[in-house]
Amino acid sequence: MAQSQSPNPTYVLVVEDDPILMMALVDFVEQAGCDAVEATTVVEAIQILETRADIRTVFADLDMRGSTVGMNLALTIRDRWPPIELLMVSSQPWDDAQIPERGVVLGKPFDRRKIEAVIRRFAS
Amino acid sequence: MSSSPVPPAVHDADRLESLAAYGILDTPAEPGFDDIVQLACQLCDMPVALVSLVAEDRQWFKAQIGFPHCETDLNSSVCAHALAQPDELLIIPDLTTDPRTSANPLVTGDPFIRFYAGAPLRTARGLVLGTLCVIDKKPRPNGLSASQQNGLRLLARQVLSQLELRRAVEARDVLRVNEGQAYRTREALRDTQLAISAAEGDLQTILTAVIDGAMQALPAADGGVFELLDGAHLEYHATRGAVAAHAGLRIPLDGSGAGFCARTGAPYLMVDASRDPHVKRELIGTLQIGSAVFAPVLRGVTVLGVLKLQSRVPIAFNAHDLAQLAMFAGAATSGLAEAAARAETRAQDTYWRGLFQRLSEGFIVGEVVRAADGAITDWRYVEVNPAWGKLVGVDPMTVIGRTIRETFPGIEDAWVDEFARVVVTGEQTTFVRQVGTLRRWYEGRAFRVNRDRFGIIFSEITSRVEADARRAAMLALGDRLRDLTSAAEMTAAAAEIVGRTLGATRAGFGRVVGDVEFIDIDADWTAPGHVSLTGRHAFDEYGDFRGELRRGEALVINDVTADARTAADPAALQAIGVGAMVNMPVRDRGRTVALFVAHDANPRVWTPEELAFLRNVADRLEVGVARVRAEELQGVLNAELAHRLKNTLAIVQSIASQTLRGVSERPLVEAFERRVLALSRAHDVLIQKSWTAARMRAVMESVLAIQADLDRFALDGPDLDISPQAALSLSLLLHEMATNALKYGALSTGAGTVRISWRTEIDQSPALVLDWAEIDGPPVEPPSGRGGFGSKLIRMGLLGTRIAVLDYTPLGLRAEFRAPLSEVQVLAH
Repeated sequence: MAQSQSPNPTYVLVVEDDPILMMALVDFVEQAGCDAVEATTVVEAIQILETRADIRTVFADLDMRGSTVGMNLALTIRDRWPPIELLMVSSQPWDDAQIPERGVVLGKPFDRRKIEAVIRRFAS
Repeated sequence: MSSSPVPPAVHDADRLESLAAYGILDTPAEPGFDDIVQLACQLCDMPVALVSLVAEDRQWFKAQIGFPHCETDLNSSVCAHALAQPDELLIIPDLTTDPRTSANPLVTGDPFIRFYAGAPLRTARGLVLGTLCVIDKKPRPNGLSASQQNGLRLLARQVLSQLELRRAVEARDVLRVNEGQAYRTREALRDTQLAISAAEGDLQTILTAVIDGAMQALPAADGGVFELLDGAHLEYHATRGAVAAHAGLRIPLDGSGAGFCARTGAPYLMVDASRDPHVKRELIGTLQIGSAVFAPVLRGVTVLGVLKLQSRVPIAFNAHDLAQLAMFAGAATSGLAEAAARAETRAQDTYWRGLFQRLSEGFIVGEVVRAADGAITDWRYVEVNPAWGKLVGVDPMTVIGRTIRETFPGIEDAWVDEFARVVVTGEQTTFVRQVGTLRRWYEGRAFRVNRDRFGIIFSEITSRVEADARRAAMLALGDRLRDLTSAAEMTAAAAEIVGRTLGATRAGFGRVVGDVEFIDIDADWTAPGHVSLTGRHAFDEYGDFRGELRRGEALVINDVTADARTAADPAALQAIGVGAMVNMPVRDRGRTVALFVAHDANPRVWTPEELAFLRNVADRLEVGVARVRAEELQGVLNAELAHRLKNTLAIVQSIASQTLRGVSERPLVEAFERRVLALSRAHDVLIQKSWTAARMRAVMESVLAIQADLDRFALDGPDLDISPQAALSLSLLLHEMATNALKYGALSTGAGTVRISWRTEIDQSPALVLDWAEIDGPPVEPPSGRGGFGSKLIRMGLLGTRIAVLDYTPLGLRAEFRAPLSEVQVLAH
């Protein structure tokens, strides 16, 4: 499927510390018709969010090194930037009660259809 | 010169008997008689006067004046002739000339008497005993004057009066002596009989009473003995006086007076031992016998023994004494008979009592206690045996007369009610029951004795009951430990089982911290009213016992106030309700890692069986906890593995996707991604049971949900546990079937659905049969060519059996897959 560059791109901040998985996540974002902004650490992600106002969605991997950093990032975002949508992937079982409001968690390995569907929904 | 014959009147039996009855012969002189002969001499002016009594073979003078002899033979008697004329005086003026006396030796020889005048001593019955006579040595031709004759006659009457008086006094004295003697005998006999009846059959007491009584009754005796017959010997018992030193002496029946008495069975009077034919000389010397009386002690005709009294002097006893002794022998007979009867009774009683005493079962005779309305409220101990004391731990001496409620305050009502029922109904009963306050179990039988009394025979079965309880507890513990899945639940369950089984007030399990410095009690069980000790405790605060625990020895304290390790300061333990305790170490690699703790608020003796039980529980618990911990660890490892596997699969997806970036057919890449996804979903289900099995429905739903909403599928079949291989195979198969349905079949339109049904077939070869039926989809056709990976997977079927029937009907695809049930199903374990 050809990637189409829209005139008013929708930015998705992808937070992932594994470079190979980063490629996959970025691919999902782009296939969903959005532009990916990459952050390899939580700190970097926060800095980007503090400096850019055009991020609509954050797509984060909860399995990043330091077991709880991914979830902490999600909570921080919900707290500091309430409008931003949250999509998370995880290889571990999660407790729905801990997921920030409007947040979506999908399991690994990836279900491309569902991931891209959620990104599109958040972008629209 | 021959003497005239003795007159026949001398030999008259009546006269002789009458004379003997006066008892005057050979008695000493008496003033009364002496005075009379004096008067006679003066009256008649004679030199000689005599009171002459004519016996059968002699004449004897009770009083005399002027005559050298006190008696003479009858040949010399002039008086004898007086007997022939009881009413008159006999006066012979010259004895030399009278034919009756001329040859009399007293006339012809010294003292040459010549004159005789005698007045007969005539009794009231007319019998003449003798004369009062006067004698002269010269003839008196004129005889006596009339007044002299009259005087002599009066004096003769006076002699008789003296004789009568004397006899009366004598008779009175004899009567007095006899009465005294009889009184003494009666008293002694009565005392003896009283003593015998009070002896309660005691042989020694009876023998002593008899011999003492006989000695008292026969004062002439200076020694006495009760000789009991023993075969051919007599054995000396109850020796007294001169015989006292000879207790235990055994003499043969031959050669003794007692032997003679025993042989004849008759009383025997040994008048003079030195002349007695039945006794041996040496025995006389040994026993110092002068004379003796013997009386046999008989039962019926059987001789039991001989009662003997003796004296050092000969002729100490008479027939009267013998008769008296016989009375004592008679008293002895009844006493000995009673002694024998009593001894037999006592032997019987001793036999039964001995049985009662030696019985290892407890025995009680109880009597019910009734309230005013007659209802039975309690019962009293009438009799118990020594075993009772041992079995209930109470001194039997202290309990008689007390009630069971007094003896065991707080005892269960059933201990009264059940025996009350026995007394009321008369039906015996058996029981198995605990006295809670004693912590002891009893099994026994109760039966009615009479209206208000009952008997109980019982044994203690505490150890059996407790052993049963411990066995049951171990089984219960095994069940609980198998079913429970967390260490905390297990320790709590074990604590409760131990606490209840041992009747402890607290039980718990704790992890040892450091070098046996602290214990962390996770969970404990407590009896009602006792506080929990959950939390951390330092051993040193409670006593000096870290050494034992460190070495892995059980810490057993029966009484914290008495045990050397805690007695110095038991307050800390008492404050947490510990009077007795056991800490049972759990070891791991040579270290004490945990303790099983049992407490009792009161001192108690922990039995070896209880300690073994605790040891067992601690071991089992440790094994159980270790299993749970291993499972928990396994779970953690599985979760970690699943997490890594999923992450890795995500990376594989990513690598594939990036690698195939240049491939123009994106659906193929996507198909790959989704097959990885389907595989992963099977793993998700499998991991829930640690990769041992998976629920069939969960596997199906999980993989189908990747493709479409689950309401597009109708699942119908038993929810089997299937093997990991079956789960993976089923996932991939259904994934391909659903993919095809989505592309070409029922799921490619909005209305179509898929019905998936499965069943087990039990034939020669049990199988799982899975049906796939697409409904309301577009018409389908078999695919052309061999197809790709997906088609191959479908043809391989379930578990690679290749038993797959595909039927492309106009209504939709129908497929049937079969696999051996044994390879699909995992039986629940």
